[in-house]
Amino acid sequence: MNTLMNVLFFGAIVLYFIGAVLQFVGSSFKKPGLTKAAWIVFLAGFAAHTVYLIVRGVVAHRLPLANQFEFATAFAWGVALIMIILNARFHADWIAVAAMPAAFLILSYAALQPREITELMPALKSAWFGFHIGSAAISYSCFILAGAAGLRWLLLARRESPDSRKLHQMDYMAYRLIAVGFLLLTVTILTGAIWAEQAWSAFWTWDPKEVWALITWIIYAVYLHLRLRQKRSGKVMAWFAIIAVPVVLFTFVGVNTLMPGLHSYG
Amino acid sequence: MKKLWNFLRSMRFGVILLLLIALCSVAGSIIPQQREVAYYAENYTQFHPTILALQLDNIFESWYFIVLLALLCLNLTLCSILRGISLMKDHRFVQRAGLLPDAKKLTPSGVEKLRAHLTEDLHCKPVQTGESTVYTKRLFGRYGTFLTHLAILLTVIFGALALYLPTLTDDTCMPGESIRMADGTDIHVDSFRIENDAGDLDFSSEITVTLPDGRKSDLQRIRVNYPMHFGPYKIYQQTYGTAGSITATNLETGVAEDFPLTESVFLTLDGVSGLWYDTLYPGYVQDDDGNITLINNVVGSYEDPIYQVQMAENGEYISMLAFPGDDLEVGGMRFHFNDPIDYPGLRIKHTPTVVNALLLAAFLLMTLGLYITFFLQPVLVKVDDEGYAVGGPKPEGMRLSLEALLESDELTPKEVPHK
Ligand code: HEM
Repeated sequence: MNTLMNVLFFGAIVLYFIGAVLQFVGSSFKKPGLTKAAWIVFLAGFAAHTVYLIVRGVVAHRLPLANQFEFATAFAWGVALIMIILNARFHADWIAVAAMPAAFLILSYAALQPREITELMPALKSAWFGFHIGSAAISYSCFILAGAAGLRWLLLARRESPDSRKLHQMDYMAYRLIAVGFLLLTVTILTGAIWAEQAWSAFWTWDPKEVWALITWIIYAVYLHLRLRQKRSGKVMAWFAIIAVPVVLFTFVGVNTLMPGLHSYG
Repeated sequence: MKKLWNFLRSMRFGVILLLLIALCSVAGSIIPQQREVAYYAENYTQFHPTILALQLDNIFESWYFIVLLALLCLNLTLCSILRGISLMKDHRFVQRAGLLPDAKKLTPSGVEKLRAHLTEDLHCKPVQTGESTVYTKRLFGRYGTFLTHLAILLTVIFGALALYLPTLTDDTCMPGESIRMADGTDIHVDSFRIENDAGDLDFSSEITVTLPDGRKSDLQRIRVNYPMHFGPYKIYQQTYGTAGSITATNLETGVAEDFPLTESVFLTLDGVSGLWYDTLYPGYVQDDDGNITLINNVVGSYEDPIYQVQMAENGEYISMLAFPGDDLEVGGMRFHFNDPIDYPGLRIKHTPTVVNALLLAAFLLMTLGLYITFFLQPVLVKVDDEGYAVGGPKPEGMRLSLEALLESDELTPKEVPHK
């Protein structure tokens, strides 16, 4: 079983990598054949990734969302899934050149984490577990893809006029992704508060993970408000969507690895 | 004065406040909060007076953080709530959409295609306004942002109440005994277990609560994540401990008494001879020579408990180890070492239930408000014989989708026929 799981997991990483490279070469040199191949390879990677998560869930008898490895794996899966949906539903294949490497990098980060399946600690045994962590994973995925859309906007804006429909679509896509991400981050924070009250008696304790989720939430609230201005600039919004990504990543990785360090080493 | 008022109710002020709150939060997450002064003196040597002066050691309860939150509430009320109320009073928004100038001109067949799309695919309702028709759908979606902001305001208010109104008591209690609260409420611990019948870790207590007015709860099992709620009390399974247990029998009278032991204690009749209970070890390992090494820490039940005691007789103390089941006679008493007792540490929260309920309602409203804001936006498309315009608070999505649909039917400015 372990070998099968390793094959699926590392298979997904390798396929994502090949997909990302083909996509980059294909779109840089305008070779539709290559970008098509990139999608096929990437979809194969996604299939392996999906089966891996299912097998892991079955073996562990729970949702595979309980530690940094599983969360990162689900996070990368969310990025891949949403990118595929965007392509299928809105023909937004342009996002792939930035999003495929993102899925690859996040899954590679997961590969650096300890992979053994551990028993769920009592504090995590709760009905809120799936809602809270699942919505966080999908919300972060949306934010990453919004950053990818912002990046594509900036690249395209060097060639197209600011009024181009394509640029508007990219800007709007980034906005919609942030809107969905924002709703899900809100769900994450609120379910987290309800859960904390059930487990530890207080809705909110200002612990660094909570605080950084709040900071991320505020940053995207500011994005949503800036976007309401009459004279907003697509460039500013694109930069905003990109610059917010490190904040998301810090909330996800940085708080766990750096904040306890700050606490213990002062 | 007018300028100040306009600033206070502006979205710009709201955004500034949000950024300042975020900034304080960054500081509060980098600098460990609510430590002793000595901690800051040691770790932030020359900066520590600044940290203390700026209340960076407890920033989330500092006066300026509370002022920021209060200003945010004020700004939300002025900017969004008042705006929402005027929005509700505005009944002419459909008519106003009908007055929009055409944003795109279409061929006659394009106009037909658009009308068919709006009625048949999107199921919009046509409303005739003068010469144009406004196709509408989900008009209640206009209230989404109002509901969102109202919910944020309520969350800040009820959240603050829910954080600061409750009183917390942490206490341990032996199974079979009760914790008595100041108001007379009795919290009775019927039993506690560390492992369930299958042998898995399951720290849980069975408790009943009796309120001062005599109302009594059913026997309920509480465990991590599953507190018990009765009256104004919420009772959490917080920690646990294992106590030694000794039965002391007076050899003269035959009277026996059980002593649960959580700390070092001297059991004696005359104050001179008797048994000093030191501690209870969870287990031990014995090597081939019979030497015993005591184990200090375990998670879960004590596998091989062992008592460390001192026998005191006429001023002399002899250290010894004892196992459950052993007996020892000294100072006119017989001490019987029982199996240890596992006991829970409970957290008892006294909270106005209504505040929690209101806070949860605000959470629900916020989620609903955001859902409406993002996914149930109203559709307001004005169509006349020559073209169309998209109205409403957030026209962008509809505009982009109609542009994509009608790309081939659009007329360039040159092609527009002059009347
Ligand atoms: C806690 C912080 C806040 C959050 C999370 C928040 C959230 C939102 C969201 C999600 C939207 C909808 C954006 C969209 O549909 O693209 C919005 C719109 C808006 N917000 Fe806020 N907001 C906050 C604070 C404020 C404050 C303090 C003000 C007041 C000055 C304000 C004024 C507005 C206005 C005027 C709109 C546009 C409403 C509309 O188009 O219907 N917001 N806000």
